Amino acid sequence: MTLKSDWETVGEPVDHDSTERLFFTQHEWDTVEAATARIMPTDHDPGAKEARVVVFIDRYVSGIDYVFAAADGSGFLKLTGRAADAWRARQFKMQALYRQGVRDLDTLARGEQLVSGDGGPTPPVASWNADHAAGGRANGQHEARTKGFVDLTEEEQDQVLVALSGAPKPSKVTLGTKEPVTTFLQGSFDEDLPFFETLCLHTRQGFYADPVYGGNKDQMGWKVIGFPGPRSLKDTMDGTYDTTEYFYEGDYDWYDLIPYLRESTPRQS
Amino acid sequence: MNAKKPDPVDVVVVGLGANGGTAAKVLSEAGLKVIGFDRGPWLRAHDHYSGDELKFVNRNYMWPDPSTYPRTVRYSEDEEAQQFAFSPLPQMVGGGTNHWAGWVPRPRESDFMLRSLHGDVEGMSLADWPIRYKDLEPYLTKVEWAFGVSGIAGADKYEPYRSKGYPSPPLRPTRYGKRFYDACNTMGINAFPIPHAMVTNNHNGRDPFNKTSFWNQYGDPSGARSNTLTTFIPDALATGNFEVRAESFVRQVMMGRDGKATGVLYVDPDGNEIVQDAKVVVLALGAIESARLMLLSRSAQFPDGLANTSGLVGKNATFHEYLFAVGLFDNEIDEPLNGFTGNYISGGSLEFYETDENRGHIGGCIISASQTCHPINWVFPGRPTWGEALKDADRNYFNYAMKIGLILHDMPVESNRVDLDPTVKDAWGLPVARITHSPHKNDVAMGKWQVDKNAEILEAAGARKTVPVYLDKMTGNTCHQHGTARMGFDPTKSVLNEWGQAHDVENLFVVDGSGFPTATGVNPTLTMMANAWRCCDYIANTYSKGRVERLVQPAS
Repeated sequence: MTLKSDWETVGEPVDHDSTERLFFTQHEWDTVEAATARIMPTDHDPGAKEARVVVFIDRYVSGIDYVFAAADGSGFLKLTGRAADAWRARQFKMQALYRQGVRDLDTLARGEQLVSGDGGPTPPVASWNADHAAGGRANGQHEARTKGFVDLTEEEQDQVLVALSGAPKPSKVTLGTKEPVTTFLQGSFDEDLPFFETLCLHTRQGFYADPVYGGNKDQMGWKVIGFPGPRSLKDTMDGTYDTTEYFYEGDYDWYDLIPYLRESTPRQS
Repeated sequence: MNAKKPDPVDVVVVGLGANGGTAAKVLSEAGLKVIGFDRGPWLRAHDHYSGDELKFVNRNYMWPDPSTYPRTVRYSEDEEAQQFAFSPLPQMVGGGTNHWAGWVPRPRESDFMLRSLHGDVEGMSLADWPIRYKDLEPYLTKVEWAFGVSGIAGADKYEPYRSKGYPSPPLRPTRYGKRFYDACNTMGINAFPIPHAMVTNNHNGRDPFNKTSFWNQYGDPSGARSNTLTTFIPDALATGNFEVRAESFVRQVMMGRDGKATGVLYVDPDGNEIVQDAKVVVLALGAIESARLMLLSRSAQFPDGLANTSGLVGKNATFHEYLFAVGLFDNEIDEPLNGFTGNYISGGSLEFYETDENRGHIGGCIISASQTCHPINWVFPGRPTWGEALKDADRNYFNYAMKIGLILHDMPVESNRVDLDPTVKDAWGLPVARITHSPHKNDVAMGKWQVDKNAEILEAAGARKTVPVYLDKMTGNTCHQHGTARMGFDPTKSVLNEWGQAHDVENLFVVDGSGFPTATGVNPTLTMMANAWRCCDYIANTYSKGRVERLVQPAS
């Protein structure tokens, strides 16, 4: 068996501009793209849509070929053995989650309740749905295809996400407060999360991960928040990428920062 | 599936992390023939590590895959344990020293004698260590110099005696580090660069070019980080007395009729079950997996688990917990803090470490100003999850946040433990480690007091909003593990003696945090490695020569 230390590098960095779909149907692609654009919206700065988050997600959920980039970003690692088995099983579940998730977004878009899922029935989406549907019929469009998430306005799409998440739309951060929380594990793994949480996490990941994975096109996610990331993963392996200039830039003297040094008797090395 | 039985060796070491790596070095350099096993891979730092946040921090490239290596946790005796990646210490050659931030402060004299200092405290199982700081000091120095630590000797006002300075100076301060020093100085707090398991110079021929700030949880492709993968394992291999068997799963310690261990049974990468005989078995899998292997190694002599006549294997588990407060600054008024910089830590203090009864709890914590990390996972608990609020939160505060954390010095409670899960199995079909844990009220009170103090320091540093993170339950987020086979003199009250040697099985040694009777309040790895070195000195120079030595129980 090929050991993990000998995993081959195969393939190449994902092309952000690709419209080739590896897993999603066209409808799923459009729906996921629209939903991620509400999670990380476009304003005077680019959002998930421009950063090609949908490409990132499509590649990831397509199987196990895009799980780990090679260290230098030249391609992707070919998993073997138990790791391959574990990821195959995981991605099988992930595909089902997305497939059902897109159906759920469309169901909510039509103003209907979700009945399946771990969270029990979802509360009805705001009354605009009914109005919308009724309006459509009143206008004699009963033959038109059923409205889906992608056909809604952005405000309507937000209402669907509110219904899906079961919580109000998040409000902006305010200063001047103290907001306690409790302990959590660092790092976020995406296994066994509900669809909405998965979509939010994958949107973040696609917006901010190294561009090799297909999102964060032209590092636009990093530019939005002012992260001066490396030009390539390879640059992080040989000293090319150096963040020293972002440290404290002034002169400093440890004796000023640590007044106690003046009274202690340091032992020489 | 039986391969040819390999030749016997002097010692097998199970688990090649911080402590197994130390054991491999010390034992092979002393001339013993050693085979080291690790269930995880033997990666090559220069080839395999880079600044890929998604891979290292989100997709478990180094952390144990939760499907292959499941673990379960429950927070009370009567609930069913749930699968959870509790304390995801990398299981691979180098272990936690691959991913760690690398705080390596020295323990304090009080850490070895909490029972003497505090007596019986209700609900706690405090015990003194069988050794004292002075017994460990020479080994702390050996590790600091052989492994590589940066720091400034004499900067920590509360440090006990040290026989030598540091081999490497620290990095320059970060912007948030400078804020921390300034705030501490206005408050009269002794802040200094927390000793760091890295070098910034060419100590021992190392090449510390990594200035990427991809540090905590990432692998380091350079020689900056002190990692046993790139230091002690190569040292051991250079002796010609050491062999690594990676991706090889040790599933049982084998026992002989004479009451001594005969070696280990392992599954090689191709699935063959093989027995490796050895004169001495050294366990260093970390306190969770060492306890699990002992509990899995049942025999006629030890129906309740190897070397477990005391019934204490797995009990008294302590895990620390990383708690913190985050402060946000105003991006229209304040200078940027660049929280992504700095190889994680940049200034800390032990000002609040020792017990002060006025606080209403015993013990105290080390604190440190540290990175808020990288874009996907930057640390802002309670961040809006989607929409314009999310985008504004990231855009306005990514470079305008700082964090002051602490290591919770949790106290031992006998019922906080590791045992075998009754239903969940790993990819080898073996029962996984189940954690049962409920924090002592002292832990909760200590965490609350110190998090609030950290928020106060943030406010002194100019933060305009604070987010304190309090303890409700342990997640194992520090990956620190201790106590599951405590050391002591009394075989009815401890599993190991003062040399990490099992009271019940004379050629079985456990040299990781399992032996810690109490957690200590500092990040434990330096103490563990020094203790592993001390115990392995005993194996090489005393036990293997057919001699016995015992320490005298210290006066309390």
